[in-house]
Amino acid sequence: PAALPPAPLGFTDVSLNSRNTYEVSRRRSAPEHLPHGGTAPAEPAPPPQEPAERARHRVGIAGAGSSFAEFFTRNFFTKRTKELKPAVQSAPGWKLFGKVPPRENLPKDSKIIQQEYEARTGRMYKPPPSSARRKNIEFEPLSTTALILEDRPANLPAKSVEEALRHRQEYDEMVAEAKKREIKEAHKRKKIMRERFKQEENIASAMVIWVNEILPNWEGMRATRRVRELWWQGLPPSVRGKVWSLAVGNELNITPELYEIFLSRAKERWKSFSETSSENDTEDAGASVADREASLELIKLDISRTFPSLYIFQKGGPYHDLLHSVLGAYTCYRPDVGYVQGMSFIAAVLILNLEEADAFIAFANLLNKPCQLAFFRVDHSMMLKYFAAFEVFFEENLPKLFLHFKSYSLTPDIYLIDWIFTLYSKSLPLDLACRVWDVFCRDGEEFLFRTGLGILRLYEDILLQMDFIHIAQFLTKLPEDITSEKLFSCIAAIQMQNSNKKWAQVFASLMKDNKEGDKNHSPASKS
Amino acid sequence: MGSAEEDYNFVFKVVLIGESGVGKTNLLSRFTRNEFNHDSRTTIGVEFSTRTILVGDAVVKAQIWDTAGLERYRAITSAYYRGAVGALVVFDITKHQTYDVVDRWLKELYDHAEASIVVMLVGNKTDLAQAREVPMEEAKMFADNNGLLFVETSALDSTNVEEAFETILKEIFYKVQKQKQRSSQSNMVSLASENPASTAPAQAERRPCCVAL
Repeated sequence: PAALPPAPLGFTDVSLNSRNTYEVSRRRSAPEHLPHGGTAPAEPAPPPQEPAERARHRVGIAGAGSSFAEFFTRNFFTKRTKELKPAVQSAPGWKLFGKVPPRENLPKDSKIIQQEYEARTGRMYKPPPSSARRKNIEFEPLSTTALILEDRPANLPAKSVEEALRHRQEYDEMVAEAKKREIKEAHKRKKIMRERFKQEENIASAMVIWVNEILPNWEGMRATRRVRELWWQGLPPSVRGKVWSLAVGNELNITPELYEIFLSRAKERWKSFSETSSENDTEDAGASVADREASLELIKLDISRTFPSLYIFQKGGPYHDLLHSVLGAYTCYRPDVGYVQGMSFIAAVLILNLEEADAFIAFANLLNKPCQLAFFRVDHSMMLKYFAAFEVFFEENLPKLFLHFKSYSLTPDIYLIDWIFTLYSKSLPLDLACRVWDVFCRDGEEFLFRTGLGILRLYEDILLQMDFIHIAQFLTKLPEDITSEKLFSCIAAIQMQNSNKKWAQVFASLMKDNKEGDKNHSPASKS
Repeated sequence: MGSAEEDYNFVFKVVLIGESGVGKTNLLSRFTRNEFNHDSRTTIGVEFSTRTILVGDAVVKAQIWDTAGLERYRAITSAYYRGAVGALVVFDITKHQTYDVVDRWLKELYDHAEASIVVMLVGNKTDLAQAREVPMEEAKMFADNNGLLFVETSALDSTNVEEAFETILKEIFYKVQKQKQRSSQSNMVSLASENPASTAPAQAERRPCCVAL
């Protein structure tokens, strides 16, 4: 086909409609990960883009190729659009191998060409409803109209008998070869589709279990083995927010009313700052007002720099004010912590999964966990304890890589700071980050560090080849094609056991060392 | 790792510091990838980039550490100044507050880095000249009085970005050369780790951070 229009901003069009929409778009775009097989020409790696956009982009690339994979891509979508345009499939211009004698070369009329064109381009703009996909898994090898053996035009001398025979034979071979490839491709595609549907069915059935069985009996069931295993598989997007809320808890006893109070306080403050920005003689001391003002400025600055590729938190975006509200209310609720960079990413992920007040409640309680409190208060000595505990398990699980990093004096803070502060929401694709959050809600802080080790394990072979700067660059900007299956199998392989000591015990013993070692070391910069 | 990019004679560690939102990350992406991103993401902790340039006959690899600007992060980020032979202290010419705190950034820098570090003051965002709050003369004078290099840049329209990095890398290079001449007799530790690519590139790769003085 002709060059397809550039992939539209994948997220915006779907994301504006509902919450959890990035999940919707992920699931919707996922079946479009078409295999390009051995027959497809080498294609450039898709440029870094957000997952949904990338998936569409790949379709664009597949469509632009000239192989049979291309044909299949087109046909696949033609089938999908069949329901919208039933005329296309039954049009007489379509020929199937073996069914139409090649000599009967009906010219395509312009109407058919246009129908085909519409069918082809229509899919770019009108993705069929997801229910349409389910019916069309059956395999039927279809082929191209491009491969048709023709006689010479009437105004030229006819082929000789031998020539015609030879052409006939070559043609048959080509057709047989093409057919073989198509069948192979189709099988591959069918397998992938089957896996997709299985996955979707798993999500659907898991959702039923979560809604009907687990959520009504939360306290009784949350720690059971069955629930924990189901939890590891990833939470269905529709219950994700709910489960996160329940798992994070609300030991701060924040009510939606309390949120409204802090929100209106924040709004008052913004108003008074914008009116009397030069006068610092309000109720507090000048310096702290200036600090808080700077903090509010910083929130404004950071909101536009939070998931910029989603275009929903930026000024004018649908969740811009929401993110502003949650962060502003938090700085009023916890002036002792205030706003610290990294928070905007956490709040944003919660807003994508929860209603406003619930997002705030989860946000405040999440940041009140010891690990998050240590990081967001930038309590350097505590952070170093976390890094030290991480290194204990690093050495235990990946001794070779550990030594490699040691030889370059590459300390874990270089990559862990970003990972822990944003709970991986900045460094991993968003859907994958949400899966990490799922299990983080189940297992607590330990899982954040286990995930870090899982990432190192996943890329161990590459990292062992790299030097300091390449490792640092790699880990502070992870590949975008990281998949959840691979990452989670690597995380699963990480043992959080160190000579029978678990994370909490290792951490506790490091804290004890700290107290004893204090007199020997110069005091670390504390908050 | 035999690519041309890896054949260098010197590795210079340079840190980018300054308030949040002054454009550090975009200055760096403009220099290393010729890219500018209106919606670049908040830097948390530190990010890295490299670019190799030619100074005279020498191939110099700049290893640039782009640090988070948040005041509260300084406890963490100041550790990253160690071993740096150059620093760009960036402010936003349209926000006087980001210039007012340059003093504090310098103090932080000299507290944690070597005294011989080459420092450049960079006033960024000259494309927003109509919103300028910091007169160029004022910043220039401040730089002169404090022994800093000075340049005004725009990461957005590329003005002076290349020049800024090239100037500081050259300055570091000459400083290293001078020190090397002196230390050839006295066997002093040089300002930067040297990497004679022809003889032992692997060994130099091993220790890409610059040697602390």
